[in-house]
Amino acid sequence: MSNLLYILFRRLRSPLIVLIVVYAISVLGFVLIPGVDDQGNPWRMSFFHAFYFVSFMATTIGFGEIPYEFTDAQRFWALITMYATVVGWLYGIGVLLSVFQDSVFLNQMKTNSFSRRIKNIREPFYIICGYGDTGAQLARSLSREGILSVIIDLNAERMSDLEADDFLVPPLSLCADGSQSEILEMAGVIHPWCQGIVTIANDDTVNLTVAVVAQLLNPKLRLIARAETPEAEANILSFGANEVINPFETFASRLSLALQSPSLYCLYDWTTCAFGAKMNEPPIPASGKWIICGFGRFGSALYDHLDDSDVKLSIIESDRTRRDLPSGSIIGRPTEAPTLKKAGIEEAAGIIAGTDNDANNLSILLTASELKPDIFRIARQNEDKNSHLFQAAEFEMLMQRGSIVANTIFALIRTPMLGDFLRIVSRFKSDKAGEVVSRIIGVVEDDVPKLWEFKVTPEDAPALYETVQTRQVTVREIFQGETLHGSNHREKPLSAMPLFMKRDESNVLLPEDDRIIRAGDRFLMCGTQAAHRQMSNILSNINLLENILSGEEIPTGVFWRWLTGKTLLAKTTSETDITNSLE
Amino acid sequence: MNSEKVVFAFFIVLALTLNFGFFLGGMDNAAHHNIYELYAAIVISLISTVLKVGDRTHLGAVFLATSLVADLQLIAAAIVWGMTEHISAEALGGTSLGTVVSLSGGALLANIISVILLVSETISVRR
Repeated sequence: MSNLLYILFRRLRSPLIVLIVVYAISVLGFVLIPGVDDQGNPWRMSFFHAFYFVSFMATTIGFGEIPYEFTDAQRFWALITMYATVVGWLYGIGVLLSVFQDSVFLNQMKTNSFSRRIKNIREPFYIICGYGDTGAQLARSLSREGILSVIIDLNAERMSDLEADDFLVPPLSLCADGSQSEILEMAGVIHPWCQGIVTIANDDTVNLTVAVVAQLLNPKLRLIARAETPEAEANILSFGANEVINPFETFASRLSLALQSPSLYCLYDWTTCAFGAKMNEPPIPASGKWIICGFGRFGSALYDHLDDSDVKLSIIESDRTRRDLPSGSIIGRPTEAPTLKKAGIEEAAGIIAGTDNDANNLSILLTASELKPDIFRIARQNEDKNSHLFQAAEFEMLMQRGSIVANTIFALIRTPMLGDFLRIVSRFKSDKAGEVVSRIIGVVEDDVPKLWEFKVTPEDAPALYETVQTRQVTVREIFQGETLHGSNHREKPLSAMPLFMKRDESNVLLPEDDRIIRAGDRFLMCGTQAAHRQMSNILSNINLLENILSGEEIPTGVFWRWLTGKTLLAKTTSETDITNSLE
Repeated sequence: MNSEKVVFAFFIVLALTLNFGFFLGGMDNAAHHNIYELYAAIVISLISTVLKVGDRTHLGAVFLATSLVADLQLIAAAIVWGMTEHISAEALGGTSLGTVVSLSGGALLANIISVILLVSETISVRR
C-alpha cells in the first residue's frame, strides 16, 4: 500500500504545488484590492471572505459576489483568478487520471492485491512457477481436484491467457520473475498453508534459482523441479529437492517402457494419469525394427533407453552438421518418402515421429502409413493447441510431452508416496509388473481406479489409530474386508488394495495380508472411488471399525453399551491385555 | 549543486523564518502579529509539506511528520483568528490572540525540528 501512495504523491507533487500557489495568489489579491461595502464606504475583504470566495469560484460553484458587490478592480482580479484556478484544477485531475492508467501504477495495484489475497489464504495451496503448456495442464488438474494454486510467470501474454481460462478453483496469478526472492516470498513460500512449490519454467537456470531460493526460505517445503540437463538435475537434487523431472528423459523413458515392458508402461501411465481414465490394455507394438525420426534431445534420450535392449533401431536426422549421430543413421528429411524408404520402412515394425515440430511429425507419420499401412505409429505432440489435429489422425500411440510431465507432477502432488513406489517398481522385471497390474485390475474390475494415501495418525485415521494402540490389526482385516470371527457383516470386500507402505525409513511394496499395522504407518492405496469413500468412513468412525473387526454391532451410546454388556475393544482382547495397555 | 535541494531547503527555512517572524512579539499585543505573515507562513508550510511527500526514506518520513504538525498548528491558529474576527463580536486580543500566538509557537517548534533534520542531513553528506 505504501508503494502505491508513494507513486501517487510523487506524480501529484507538481499539480499540488501549482494549486497551492494559485490559491495563495488569488486569496492574497482579493485581500489587498480595495472594495466598497453596501453603504459605499471603503472596505477590504478579510482572508476569511477571500478564501470563501476563491473556494467556490475555483470549484465553479459560483455563489456570486459576496458579501458586497465587487468593484471593477475586484472583478478584474476575479476574471484572472477564475481561469487560473480552473486550469490548476484541470491540470491536477489530468495528472491524477493519468497516474491511474499508468502501467507502473496498475502493476503495483495488481501486486498489492495479489499479496493481500495470498496472506488471506486459509487452505492448502501449491506454487507453480512457469505457465507454459505443462504449467497450464497442471493448474487445470489441480483446480479440478479442488486444490488452490498460485501461478507466477514472467510472460504477460501467458498470464492474460490464464485470466481468460475457466477454472473450477481460480488460481491466483502474478506476472513477475519467480527467481526473485521477494516475489517468491510474496507468493507464499513461507506461508503456513503452502504445501509445496513446483518450478517448471523452460529455463534451467530459472528453475535452479527458484529451487535454491525456496529451499533457503523454507527448507521444509516440498519441492518439485523441472530440469532439462542431467547436470541441472543433479544440482537441484543436491540441495534437497523432493523430485526433479527431466521432461525429455521422462518422455523417452515412458516411450521405451511402452516398447520394452508394456505392463510397466501401463502401471506408470495409469498411476500418473490425471482423471478417471480406465486402465487400458497395454499397447503391444509389434517386435522388429523401429525408425526414430529426429535425433534432438528427445530422440537421443530415446535412443539411449532403447539402445541396450534388443530392439533394432534406425535413426533419421535432417541436420547435416550433426556429428554425434550413431552409426548407420540416415541424414535426410524424414517427411519425404525416399528418406523413409532408405531407412528401411518396408521391414520396420514401427515408426516414432519425435521431432520438435508438430507439423513435421504429422507429415512423417502420414507419409509412413502411405508407404506401409500396418506400421505402428507413435507421434510426439509438442504443443497443446495441436491436440485436435493429432486426435483426428488416430495414431496408435500419442505422447504429449506437456501432459506427461504435468500428470506426473500432479500425481506426485496428490499422492507423494507415488514417487518412491514408481522408483521401486521400475526395477521390476516385466512379468512381476504384469502381476501387479493384473492384481489391480482384479480389485477394481471395470471401474475407474483411484489412488489415495493415508497415515495412521489421530488426524488422518483416528479410529484406526485408537484401535492399533490396544490390539493388533492386520492389513487383511482392514483392507480385505474379511473378519476373523467368521460372521462377515459386510456384503463383499472393499474394492481396494494397499500398493505400498512406509514405516519409518523402510518401504514395503504390496504389504502382505498378515502384516500388523502400527501407528505412524503410511499407506498408498488404490481402488475404486466408492471404496475410497467407504474406507475413509471406516478409518474415522470407531464404531464402524469395531463392527468390521469383530463382526458385531457395538451400540454407540454408553447406556446401550451397558445394557447389552458390550464394550468397545473388549471383544478381541482379554481383560489383562486391556489393563496392560492402560498402564 | 542540486537545484532540487536548493528549492527544498529554501522552503523549509522560509517556513521557519516566517513562522518565527509571526511568533515574535508580545503575547497580548495585536500590533506585533501581522496577519499577512501568518498567511504567508501557512502557504509556505503547505508547499514544503507537498515537497516532502513521496520520500520513502526514514528521514523523509520524519520530515513529513514535522511538516504536517506545523500545518495543523498554523491552520488551527488561522481558524481561531477568523472565528474571533467574524463570528464572535469582540475584537482580537487577550485570550484569543494568546491562543493564536501559542499555536504558532507550537508550529515554530516543529519547523525548528525540520531545520535541524535538514542541517544534520546536510552534514552527514560528506563531499
